[in-house]
Parts: sequence; C-alpha cells; structure tokens
Amino acid sequence: MAKRAIALSVNGTDHPVKVDATERLIDVLRDMLNQKSVKEGCSTGDCGICAVLVDGKLVNSCLMLAAQCDGRRVTTLEGLLEDPTMKRMQGSFIANNAAQCGFCTPAMLMAAWDLARHAPRPSDEEIKVAISGILCRCTGYYQIIDSVREGCKRGGT
Amino acid sequence: MSALELYSPTDLSEALRFMEHQDGKVAVIASGTDLLPRMRKRQISPTVLVDISSLTEDLRYIRSSDGVVRIGALTTVADLLESPLFDRELSMVKEAATIFGAPQVRNVATVGGNICSAASSEDLIPVFMALDANLKLVSAKEERTVPLREFIVGKRKTALKPSEILAEVSFRLPVGHSWTAYEKLGRRNMLIIAMVNEALHLTLEDDLRTVRSARIALNRLSRKTPALAVRTEDFLKGKRISDETVTQAQKVLASELSLTSDFRGSGAYRTEVAQVYLKRLVQRCSRQIGGPS
Repeated sequence: MAKRAIALSVNGTDHPVKVDATERLIDVLRDMLNQKSVKEGCSTGDCGICAVLVDGKLVNSCLMLAAQCDGRRVTTLEGLLEDPTMKRMQGSFIANNAAQCGFCTPAMLMAAWDLARHAPRPSDEEIKVAISGILCRCTGYYQIIDSVREGCKRGGT
Repeated sequence: MSALELYSPTDLSEALRFMEHQDGKVAVIASGTDLLPRMRKRQISPTVLVDISSLTEDLRYIRSSDGVVRIGALTTVADLLESPLFDRELSMVKEAATIFGAPQVRNVATVGGNICSAASSEDLIPVFMALDANLKLVSAKEERTVPLREFIVGKRKTALKPSEILAEVSFRLPVGHSWTAYEKLGRRNMLIIAMVNEALHLTLEDDLRTVRSARIALNRLSRKTPALAVRTEDFLKGKRISDETVTQAQKVLASELSLTSDFRGSGAYRTEVAQVYLKRLVQRCSRQIGGPS
C-alpha cells in the first residue's frame, strides 16, 4: 500500500516523513527520527512509558497514529534537554535517587515537566495525579514524588 | 496492524459522503485510545479507518442553551474537566472524568469514542444514561436521535449504522431539587477498568423529603453492558427518604442485578458494592439538595 507523506514537527524541526497509514507515532519517533527516550512498554496505554507532548498535551505515543499527527508539534525529552525547568527536574531526579532501572524515567520527566509548567508548587496529590498514568516497574514512587516536588520549585525559593 | 487504509476527511460532510459508499469493514477512529489496542490484539480487523480526529471544528464543543446541554462527540475527557457547567448539579460528570484513565488518556480520549466503545468499562456511559441522554447520529442522508439507553444493544454493540457517525450527546439540565453523583470501584484509583460504577440523578419534591424521580445507571446490570436499574428507580419514586427506604431500595437493586464473576471480582461482591454505592449516592445527592442524609 502506498505510504503517505506527512509533516511532523519534532522538537521544533520539521520532518517530512513517509508513513504507512497505520504506523504509530512511537514507531516513527523511535525508528525514523531516533528519539530513543520514547520507550515502548505495554502498547495498550496502561504503562505510559511512551509519553510525549503533542501540541503541548501529554499523550501516549503508542496510542496515536503518526498520520494523525500530520502538521502537529511533537515534543520529546530530547527536545527539552536544554530547557531550564527540565534541567532542574533532572537534577532533582538524580539528587533524590528517582531512577532505579530507569525505564520509566524519561516518561516521568515529561509528566513532571508538564506539571511544573502549570503548578510551581504542586501538592503531593497533584503530583500523584500527574504521574498516575506512568508505571514505575521498580515501584520507587516516593523518590519520584520527592523529586517532582523539589524539581517544580523555581530558583531555590 | 491489520487495517489497510486510512481516510482523513477535512470536514464532517466529506467524512459522511465517504462512509456512504463503503462496503468494506469501516471503523471510525477519533483518538484511538480504545480502537488501536483492540486492533493490535486483533479483536477487530477493519479494512478502512476513517480518521475524524481533525474534525474538531464540527464536533468539539460543550454548549448549554434553552435548558439543554450539548456535547460534541470529539470533546475530550479533559475538556469536561475544564467546563464550569459540571461544577454543581451535574458534578458527577467531573467525578467520572477525574478518575477516567490517566492524564495522557484524558487529554485525547473523546466522549463519542467512549460511548461508541459500548462496553461495561466505559466510565461515561452510566453518567450520561442517568441523565437520560440522547445521541445525535448523522449520515450523509439523514440525521436521527436515539436515546443512549437504546443505543447500547450489547457488549461492544451499538445501534450505529455503518454509514453513521455519532455527532453529539445531549441531555436536559436538571430542574428543581436535583443533584447527581457517581461512584467507581476498581483495584486502584487511576487507569483501571471499573468492577462497579454507578451513577445517580436524584430529584426531590418541594418538601425535600420525597423522591420525585431517581435515575440509577450501572456499568453492568444483568448483561455485560451499562443499563438503568428501572425497578429500583420505580421503587424509590414517591418514597420519603429514610434509612428504611434506602435499605429496601438496596434489596430491590440486588434483586434486579444478575452479575457474573470474572477476574476483576465475583458477582456477589459486585452486587454488594452496587448496594453500598446506592446508599452512598442517595445520601450524597440528598445532602446536596438539602434533604435528609
């Protein structure tokens, strides 16, 4: 079957790619555009390890067709490495030992970054809701919650 | 994945014209959060996917006028959470949306998709059923309105014709001394398929004691599909709210439920929970209206 040409904006760069009609966003991001922070876990929307931002909204890239993202803005962790909020969040994850096996860490960072934009001082309940769609297989949630709380604070205030 | 063709119309009428002339196995895809996993598991194998996700101009809105609330089929669950319309009497809409999936799912999952998936796992169906919601189904040739309780004809089966798209959910704003409430039990709080969920829309008479009407919807009643507990509703109608009334209503509810066991929970446990929820929902609604609790 013929491939369809779509324009995917990933981390601010336009990528004209040709995809099969039913190719998922996660596969295009990982296999064509080398965004390896995007992990594949359950592929059914239960683990959230593939979380990316599409037009600024956190979504599971395993549950989205690449063709449905034609002309839309996709942001992965790779695109936020120089972002001050993300740098602070990563530092907080390291300081608080939030990564055990590390498999969920990129998705946790995306969810944490998304929360930090909206809530500079989130309650623990807000943090739990923000990361509720992401499964930490090591179950190290308390370190992650501590990291997000600290990482959301700006400039040591 | 097995689907072969993806058609991406630019507006609703184009989508409907396309669907008029299809003889293959057509599936409509909005966000895909339910459809794509089912396709991967080969539970369904459409040959054509009609992608309506970009038709937001036609199908994504929440409006209230002349006492009727209209919700476009592409309205997301996150949109429901942002609407002030569901802060008071209709707060069960937000209660259900708050624990629907998880943030990544709520950001894209649509009201129409949840309804058309038509399984007992769809959290919004009991909510809209308890509000006596109507569905607007459109095709290139006609437009018809079907009550939600008639739309669901079986597990994963609806009254939708192959040429039709669900365009809108609508229901009357509660009038008088009314309130709504929702309860859901799963193995955890988020990202879980309900063992039991139950929605109540209660209206009291001016004395704030007597039930004028009760609408009770559950994710399962006697089959694995959402339905109204009509015998319990009839029992409550005209009764004065008291511990005695609620206890009797719980017995009526148990008698009209025939719930089966599966890996999520036993039928007996589900029945017990449904009864406890009935009491909780009646108390919560009554308290909000200003009646006995």
